[in-house]
Amino acid sequence: MPSAEPAPAAPPLLQVNGLTIRFGEHTAVDGISFRLGKGETLAVVGESGSGKSVSALALTRLLPPPPACRLGGEILLGDRDILKLDEPALHRIRGKEIAYIFQEPSSSLNPLFTIGAQIAEAIRLHRPDVKNPVAEILRVLDLVGIRDPEKRHRDYPHQLSGGMQQRVMIAMALVCQPKILVADEPTTALDVTIQAQIIDLLRDLKQKLGMSVLMITHNFGIVHGFADRVIVMFRGKIVEEGPTEVILRQPQHPYTKALISCIPRLGQRQERLVTIDYSTLVP
Amino acid sequence: MFSEITRQQFRRFRSIRRAWISFWILVGAYVLSLFSEHLANDRPLVMRYNGGTYFPTVKFYSAETFGGRYRTEADYLALEQSPEFLAKGGWMLFPIIKSDPLRNYLKEEGSPPHAPSARHWLGTDDSARDVAARLLYGFRLSMSFALTLAILGAVVGVIVGGLQGYAGGWFDLAGQRIIEIWSALPFLYVVILIGSIYGQTFGVLLFVFLLFEWIGLSYYMRGEFYRLKNQTFTQAAQALGAGKFRILYRHILPNAMVPVITLFPFMLIGGISSLTALDFLGFGLPPPTPSWGEMLQQGLKYLYAPWLAFSSVLALFTTLLLASFVGEGARAAFDPRSSNAIR
Ligand SMILES: Nc1ncnc2c1ncn2[C@@H]1O[C@H](COP(=O)(O)OP(=O)(O)O)[C@@H](O)[C@H]1O
Ligand SMILES: [Mg+2]
Repeated sequence: MPSAEPAPAAPPLLQVNGLTIRFGEHTAVDGISFRLGKGETLAVVGESGSGKSVSALALTRLLPPPPACRLGGEILLGDRDILKLDEPALHRIRGKEIAYIFQEPSSSLNPLFTIGAQIAEAIRLHRPDVKNPVAEILRVLDLVGIRDPEKRHRDYPHQLSGGMQQRVMIAMALVCQPKILVADEPTTALDVTIQAQIIDLLRDLKQKLGMSVLMITHNFGIVHGFADRVIVMFRGKIVEEGPTEVILRQPQHPYTKALISCIPRLGQRQERLVTIDYSTLVP
Repeated sequence: MFSEITRQQFRRFRSIRRAWISFWILVGAYVLSLFSEHLANDRPLVMRYNGGTYFPTVKFYSAETFGGRYRTEADYLALEQSPEFLAKGGWMLFPIIKSDPLRNYLKEEGSPPHAPSARHWLGTDDSARDVAARLLYGFRLSMSFALTLAILGAVVGVIVGGLQGYAGGWFDLAGQRIIEIWSALPFLYVVILIGSIYGQTFGVLLFVFLLFEWIGLSYYMRGEFYRLKNQTFTQAAQALGAGKFRILYRHILPNAMVPVITLFPFMLIGGISSLTALDFLGFGLPPPTPSWGEMLQQGLKYLYAPWLAFSSVLALFTTLLLASFVGEGARAAFDPRSSNAIR
């Protein structure tokens, strides 16, 4: 599929050029570049510690300030370089233009407030135009598939299951109608059946709302049928990039091949856990 | 306003009977003591004279009002006995304790301290002042002092510890070193010094105590804020575009309140006992302030008048015991790390 990558006429929504992230002497991310078009879904795949999360957080500068952490390169959101913006400008971008959902839904919600109150906080921060916040809360809760929102919005986080909590996180992220949703391993902490439900929900929502999604995962299994393009990260570098179908069918890099061979397939007995032989990867 | 978790903690506190009962006894006693003027006073609550009704505990009346010669305050105890007063249909209802804590009742037989009697239930001290009245006013004073101190200390402790834990880095390090030096200052010398310069008033003593009161809590708050700022929900709030201030007061502060609640009763205990100790040593509130420390000291001085030592020791002991029951219960109910063995 050579024409799978559409040549963008307009500049992409998000363009990252040579992003470098350093913690002291340790380089966590080493000059990665990628772009995300409008309505596009990009998956970032890589094992734990490969620098996926810090790259995602860097998009709105959610990392510790220098000197603890130093950022290099360019992150272009439209015509603004995120790395050159001041704090107030960043606050307006976070949640409003780029929203996040995280791995641990149970600890991502403040235990002392109802889920309704927490969604209301998002509304208050970015949508002063909303006249009736409660109606808006009920609308997004319904949108993310929470039944009986009139009753549920008064619940505290600990009264919900992990899957429901993640739906609330998605509702919080979506209530401000962001252009880009960054999902950092949104299903890793959930049961397998719930994982599938959340992935289905996200697929549904991105089509319905036409937003761009940056899906971070260490599991190639959820990339198929979800992402348009894939980036494979290994030790802070991008080792492979391309349309999902191409990468899944003909992975070039041995690391990608190894990751793909880790996908458990239905009806296929696996005698042993697949292990990655790093001696072939690192020169 | 309160989350399910908080409500559960309150329910657990209520289920610890000893703490719950102690809490209400203390609250009740303090609220009552706020009306000390109407509970222990040698002015009547209500009186009738010459067809008029008077309320001397709330209003000042001169002796002239009741047929006396002077403009000074009427001496109600004398008036009650005077034939002219009775002749004009005079009638008085006195508070339960018919004594003022500052007045010397020298008309009693013998020399002070007088033993307990129907007139002075707990006797009088060496200046012939009513012990029961002084105990009551002393309770109000101790509690007010300790409460104000604990509240202000908690506020300062939360702010200082919170900023240290939240900011971290050099600010935190420098703060810790300064606090270490600060807490090494000899408290008693500071009290004596400042007291002798500015006078030993309620305000000055409160200020000097406050200089040290916040330190203990600040350590806890520093830890809590440090822990909470790295919690996923604070980071999630940041990712949502919440500013520093909003994250501090909405996401971190309410979640950091457990040490404040569990330490508060012990701060109260500390306040009561240190004020008492200071009064006992004579560096506290000046005479004739009704204070428990001064009463304890008299108890020690006049061992042949055991009602002095007995009443003040018992009052202090009961108050501190009740407060520690509350503290123990609060700790069991609110601190998830403590065991739930106490019932
Ligand atoms: N706050 C931090 N301080 C120092 N090093 C960090 C910090 N956060 C992440 N790192 C380092 O950055 C690297 C990438 O981490 P991360 O992006 O979380 O990996 P993952 O791909 O699993 O999401 C790791 O080596 C990690 O040790
Ligand atoms: Mg990660």
